[in-house]
Amino acid sequence: MSGPLIDKAGAAAVDVSSASGVVYADCRIVHLTAEEISVQGGSPEKLARSESIGLGVRVLVDGCWGFAAAAEVTPESAAALRDRAVKIARASAKLTGERVNPGKIEGITASFRTPIIKNPFEIPLKEKLAYAVHLDSTLRAVEGLTRTSAAMSFERELRYFFSSEGSRIEQEIFRSGGGITAGVGGGHGGSIERSYPTSGGQYETAGYELIERLQLEAGIEQTAEEAQALMQAEECPQKTCTLILSGDLVSLQLHESIGHPLELDRVYGSERNFSGTSFATPDRLGKLQYGSEIVNVFTDPTAPGGLGSFAYDDEGVPAARSPLIEKGVLVGYLTSRETAARIGMKSNASMRAKSWAYLPLIRMTNTILAPGDKTLEQMITETDDGIFIQTPTSWSIDDRRENFQLGGEIGRLITGGKLGAIVKNPVYSGNTIEFWNSCTAIGTAAEHRIWGTPSCGKGQPGQTIATAQGTSPARFANVKIGG
Amino acid sequence: MMTNDDIIKRLTAAVSATPGKDLELVCIESNTALSRFAENIIHQNIEQADHEIMARVGLGDRVGLAVGNSIEPEAIRATIEHALEIAENQNPDPDFPGFVASPAVPPTPGAFSPATADYSPEDRAAIIKAATEACTKAGVLASGLFKTEVRSSTIVNSAGTTQYFAETAAEFSLTASDDKANASGWATGYHRDVGKLDLEQVTRVAVLKAVTSRNPQPHPPGEYTVILEPAAVGQLLLFLGFLGFGGGSFASGRSFMARQMGQQVTGENITIIEDPFAPEMAGMPFDYEGVPKKRVPLIENGIAKGVVFDRRNAKKAGMESTGHALPPDNTFGPYPKNMAISPGTVPFDDLITSTPEGILITHFWYLNYLNPRRVQMTGTTLDGTFRIKDGTIAQPIVNMRATPALLEMFGKVEAIAAERVVYPQFNSVMLVPGMKINGFELSEDTEKG
Repeated sequence: MSGPLIDKAGAAAVDVSSASGVVYADCRIVHLTAEEISVQGGSPEKLARSESIGLGVRVLVDGCWGFAAAAEVTPESAAALRDRAVKIARASAKLTGERVNPGKIEGITASFRTPIIKNPFEIPLKEKLAYAVHLDSTLRAVEGLTRTSAAMSFERELRYFFSSEGSRIEQEIFRSGGGITAGVGGGHGGSIERSYPTSGGQYETAGYELIERLQLEAGIEQTAEEAQALMQAEECPQKTCTLILSGDLVSLQLHESIGHPLELDRVYGSERNFSGTSFATPDRLGKLQYGSEIVNVFTDPTAPGGLGSFAYDDEGVPAARSPLIEKGVLVGYLTSRETAARIGMKSNASMRAKSWAYLPLIRMTNTILAPGDKTLEQMITETDDGIFIQTPTSWSIDDRRENFQLGGEIGRLITGGKLGAIVKNPVYSGNTIEFWNSCTAIGTAAEHRIWGTPSCGKGQPGQTIATAQGTSPARFANVKIGG
Repeated sequence: MMTNDDIIKRLTAAVSATPGKDLELVCIESNTALSRFAENIIHQNIEQADHEIMARVGLGDRVGLAVGNSIEPEAIRATIEHALEIAENQNPDPDFPGFVASPAVPPTPGAFSPATADYSPEDRAAIIKAATEACTKAGVLASGLFKTEVRSSTIVNSAGTTQYFAETAAEFSLTASDDKANASGWATGYHRDVGKLDLEQVTRVAVLKAVTSRNPQPHPPGEYTVILEPAAVGQLLLFLGFLGFGGGSFASGRSFMARQMGQQVTGENITIIEDPFAPEMAGMPFDYEGVPKKRVPLIENGIAKGVVFDRRNAKKAGMESTGHALPPDNTFGPYPKNMAISPGTVPFDDLITSTPEGILITHFWYLNYLNPRRVQMTGTTLDGTFRIKDGTIAQPIVNMRATPALLEMFGKVEAIAAERVVYPQFNSVMLVPGMKINGFELSEDTEKG
């Protein structure tokens, strides 16, 4: 796509001067290029490249939204989509609920590019494939493993935003990531998997330098050993004890029980029929003791390397750090222009669409649990009876995000301040508020890391989107463990 | 939407213009129209149109895949060029079976409805308005979705296969809720033909469940006789399919079916068939390799009978494809998308009236794997959980956590309803009855927030 063509199409899409009742329009033109490489058990499972280009127009007519999108980027198709979106918005007006008022913002002209060192699409395919094959074959050389895999993927997203308020924003976002998995078993005893650096791999807004930095070879020996040890291990016991979570498992916990419940569209019920609601209603803002005093959480789409990083959201709002929980107290939500106005706040740039074909929804960006002052070692030493669980495998949380059950790949029992036996299928459960209020320690800044979640799901049609959670290991008192 | 002639012509021309290469082109064209509503407004009202062109090139046993979304001839050519470049750089795949010529399969009767294809935003809004008004009248809030979809799948390969299939689907889902009374009800309807969707019934059921589930009481954890409504059965069946009935996990030995083929794995009253030709579902009659689909018994009278294959996993397992390849850009492997559980003989209502003490479950929320080795899931009940006492619905109870091990659970089915419901979930469509199951463990999931 050429720049002039994009500008003409964008301008046509948001030109609402001739349509009565249209108070606002915006347009996203997205060109996504992606590459996936995966090798399993010595076989090339996937080596694929995909491209998607298209244009979506959102309009607000008499306080009602309409949206239309198609895989064609021309001024003519943009104008036709705009007119279709207006027709759809007018149908929305058949319902008599309160009209939408997102307020006004100044138009912005800006551009942004993810700071990368090595463009992953300029690294020869053969080189990337050879590295995945090398990782997989090194794993396969370990005796006793019955399944192995190595995978990596890369995305380059060119995203153009236009609005009837005069915005023209161009962003080029790179996402990269990869990981390895070792599996044991598969017969009557079932099977066990262990992954590195985390389940599904680690992803960041970065270039190929991330793959080099991850040093996946370094994880092979321990990953394989732990997979084999898990096969022989006892099941996780059922009891109530101190729980220490690895940073990547805190990441999932944060994502499910703080990130999702604080999406303000969800709070207002827009996901009730599909992704559920939230207990964290606006009447509790500034009052709810969500966690213990050491729990501080913020959203930060500007966090360097965070998989949810960008400079402007899909409403053209500049990205900025914004508090969600301070000293354990609920102080903010993830917001859009429309929902922020309802609680007297300004949007914190959380409106994101999967691609050109989708309407933006409130999504997590980078949700950060601020580091604390204990090292993981200190947390373990101070624990008389507990368990250390690492790496997410399963999660389930109720429709109001109150009660959850999460599982990890590997558990290590803790007795008298020392790590003991490995246990398999470690799961734990709790109530969101009680759990975060039982947080007795958070790992230091040195152990803090931003974990990528490449495919967080929400909405209908389903929109998987890249988010991240910044976490350190953390400790929680009196948690129920075991299935 | 493009005509079938136009799509086939474009793909055939592209294959012909790449002589001497093993090439497969898949085109999925989709038009989705969807309205989501809550708080008495339509907060999301969209239409999206897209194409996905997938080119797979085989250079001997090296395979390249590229995906684009333009059906312009030069864009298709570029996608093929990308696939070629990838194949040239790819390592050999000893399991790649090449492409095969399959006879053209006629469309499944009832799969395409012009009424669904022509449904308008105004039509959707009118239905939503009626549902919202019914909820308001009953003192509950309405939220939900109305979706119509038109989709075509075209496969052309250099071995001589040409397949085309067009389908429509309409889905209406409604949650009626009363937060002050901690109550909610839910119902859904699905049909190829929007005109045959019983929209009023969906509204009636959701409202009734919401109204009767007001002020639910806590219930002690324990093992109960439960009545699972068809949607709850469908949700669990889908995960059983993911874990057990796919040729990929079978070929690699991970599936419980690989360990227990020919053995009794559930109660004798359970028969599960992958049946894309059941008229209620009217599934796609071939797969994304162009191979005609087969009706595949998965579990017959409790005995593990079969799994579904694409060509690659069939080769690995020494079997034949059953026509269940997913689009080539997937890595999940084949799984059944039209499972049907054979019905029982008793009316659904009799499952309740024959139960002295039990729990009625509408559906589950956020099911996920808990222990794949035991085929065990975790999730909570939602939108209407009721205590049954002496054969009647006695009172609503708060939602509880369920952690069923699926094979064990299907071994404790006391009775199966005669009626079956078409239930869509995660791109699958299933035909499922309600069930009465003994020894179903439920634990506390108390709402304290």
